[in-house]
Amino acid sequence: MRVGAEILRAAQSIGARTIFVVGTGRNVGKTTALRAIYEAAWNEGAQVGLASIGRDGEASAQKTLPKPRLWLRPRTIFATARGLLPASPAAEILKLSPLRSPAGGVLYGRTRTGGFFELGGPPTASGVREVVDELLSRSDVVIVDGAVDRVAALAGSDGAVVVAGGAAGAATMHEAVAEIAALVTRLRVAAFDAGVPAIHIDGALTADAAAALLARGETRQIVVHDPTQIALSGRAATEAFARLDLRCVRPLRVVAATIASIAPERTFEPVHFADAVAAATLLPTFDVYRGARAA
Amino acid sequence: MKPQPLLDAASADVLGFKWLARAIAPASPYGDRAFSELRPFGVGQEAEAQSRAQRIAEFATRVAARLEAIRAELVELPDATSAIARASMGDVLADPSFLELRRFCATVERIDDLIADSSAQPPLSNDAVSAVGAALAIGQVEDDRFYLADAFDASLATARANLARAQAELDAVRGRECAQVALELGREELGSDEFIVMRAELRGALPAGVRVQREAPTYLLCALDYGEAALAALQRRDEAADAVAEREERVRAELSSTVRRNAAGLNATTIALGDLDLMVAAARFTQSCECVPAEVSSKTVLEFERARFLPLEAELVAAGRAFTPLDLALDHAAVLTGPNMGGKSVCLLTCGFLALCVAFGLPVPAARARIGLFEQIAWLGLGREGHVGGLLSSFALEVLALKEILSRDLPRLLILVDEFARTTTPHEGKALQVALLGRLRERRACGMLATHLEGVAAAAGVRHFAVRGLRGIPAPPATDNVDDALATLAASMDYRVAEVGAEDASRADAIALTALLGIDQKFVDAAYRALG
Repeated sequence: MRVGAEILRAAQSIGARTIFVVGTGRNVGKTTALRAIYEAAWNEGAQVGLASIGRDGEASAQKTLPKPRLWLRPRTIFATARGLLPASPAAEILKLSPLRSPAGGVLYGRTRTGGFFELGGPPTASGVREVVDELLSRSDVVIVDGAVDRVAALAGSDGAVVVAGGAAGAATMHEAVAEIAALVTRLRVAAFDAGVPAIHIDGALTADAAAALLARGETRQIVVHDPTQIALSGRAATEAFARLDLRCVRPLRVVAATIASIAPERTFEPVHFADAVAAATLLPTFDVYRGARAA
Repeated sequence: MKPQPLLDAASADVLGFKWLARAIAPASPYGDRAFSELRPFGVGQEAEAQSRAQRIAEFATRVAARLEAIRAELVELPDATSAIARASMGDVLADPSFLELRRFCATVERIDDLIADSSAQPPLSNDAVSAVGAALAIGQVEDDRFYLADAFDASLATARANLARAQAELDAVRGRECAQVALELGREELGSDEFIVMRAELRGALPAGVRVQREAPTYLLCALDYGEAALAALQRRDEAADAVAEREERVRAELSSTVRRNAAGLNATTIALGDLDLMVAAARFTQSCECVPAEVSSKTVLEFERARFLPLEAELVAAGRAFTPLDLALDHAAVLTGPNMGGKSVCLLTCGFLALCVAFGLPVPAARARIGLFEQIAWLGLGREGHVGGLLSSFALEVLALKEILSRDLPRLLILVDEFARTTTPHEGKALQVALLGRLRERRACGMLATHLEGVAAAAGVRHFAVRGLRGIPAPPATDNVDDALATLAASMDYRVAEVGAEDASRADAIALTALLGIDQKFVDAAYRALG
């Protein structure tokens, strides 16, 4: 199975030109998934645009770890920071953006020859939106390596989200599956129904606010701007999703999940892991390392 | 643009300094730098101040139709100063810097075309801009991109061709290896550098070249080593890539050297661009606010016809109303009287605003003006309170502010005094105002003191101006709406200022205005009865 092509197809089937790969944490195979999708799109002759939210954008304690360099094929359009642009191979510099990143100003380039590049982008959601729009104006497909809190840039657009999860950061397979399922549930919050009574939340729906709504037995739609505004985890998230009618103004479209069953500290049985994620999320679930899709 | 030492912070706030600074703000980083250095002209620089205002007005006229086009170019102008500075220090610049410099040179040429027939502005371009622009033009792709193109160096083209061949060879060899292993594992592709082989799916040994990185009970995490042929191809590719990198860096070094040799000329253009940006911003201000250059006098004089206080005019226009232009001829100190809401304060503000414009070499919002340069423009009135400490009465604050203004002891003072000592008894308030006017006269200061107190001008022996005031007592509007009341007032009020006799009594029309603003008739009648 060509996993990258399958994921690309899943995104194209809903008309998405932007694919945002988000993960439950670091080392969960996000870059591997992105690379597979990129290779598939490039092999199909598509003009591909690539971006990352920037090295400091990870929702993780390990903020300063550099991202892996990607081998970019010729004619790939990319966004990166000036400080991350390699001296060689020289790329065509398309545009210098006023956006700033920790590694310098953001620029758009196009590879003339293949080479290793490090992607870096703006740390803000509005900056990500601008980068995606710029790349879309020059590309057939835009693939973004992004942290969950930046996926809001896609909300309400025709973009697709791929959720990557893995053995890293979860003590057991059950825990990892629960993490992936919780993230998918959060990102798939449905659009609100304008004809039904609703409470609009200004900003994030916090655990305290959710507890207050639960305590008074709220039955109206609880509407946030986009799924990333649901700042709930663990038991609070479980309760809120079970008992509140959570909705959003600008929904996201999650099209697939990928798994990485290997982590430095543990491994999961890959077939069971993929099947469990597929069952918990009801999403097409792929294992890039195994070249397979869950049954 | 700094108001000090001409204005203290409080006076700057009240007199519209920030409004003016926004109105003449430049568009480019070069303009920003020049703007930050902008200082008021000092006494003795009358000719320079007038010359600048005239050049701005002339520029505004000559390039009137192209001002916005020039501004648009300036907005998009990249900041090349950092690249020029680094090249000057011997740094080898990176490609984004070359794009900035190329765009810089191209934009300068376009701006020169736009200002070609303006004698007020010399061309920006010079030999350095031409040389660097030409050197970098080789890398220009379409209108606005840059690539370290093969055409920069014949050996670069050769090196890149070699790299392309080496890469193709590596891709082919490595591709065959991957395809062979995928075939042996029964897959369409390996998918990633690391891949999983399920033990249950493995028939026999792993394919040749596959290295186990990690073993798990049900699967193996593997990687495909480079075979002999692929390793050799990889080595050739890396050598070819190194050769390309070396030649690319050589081209960059040569281009950086060109920038370094022309740095002085490029820097001169950045400075000229800053000046032009200020000129364009001032010309837009002149054009949109219908300003004219004032005659800048060597005397402490403030004369103008049909002058406007632009910050208030902008507010009035937004509210659908108009500013009544003012005429005034002021030298030394004078008194201004008039009714409440008749525009005394606005007259003072107009004086200050015009003096401010002249100090910065700007055309003024008036039909004609003759204004001197001052060493200090001071406002004493409502609006200063926030700048002095908290436990003092408003009278104490006012006195301390006056003390601060007078303590600077600058001979060229323009002071605008709005109802000084209004919070004490009329008797002592008048005495203090007369004393202040006496002090201003001693110092030969130019100033205007607005007051409701009678006989101040006569007692101080200074000229007396008055707002003409209500043409009649207007009937309150039918509605209780403040905007309607203000519109009625505006229709009835003659805001113009004229000189009157020193002994002329001022009219406040305060009770009529109270009625107009909606206080009940019983209250108003009681006030008239008390007035006798």
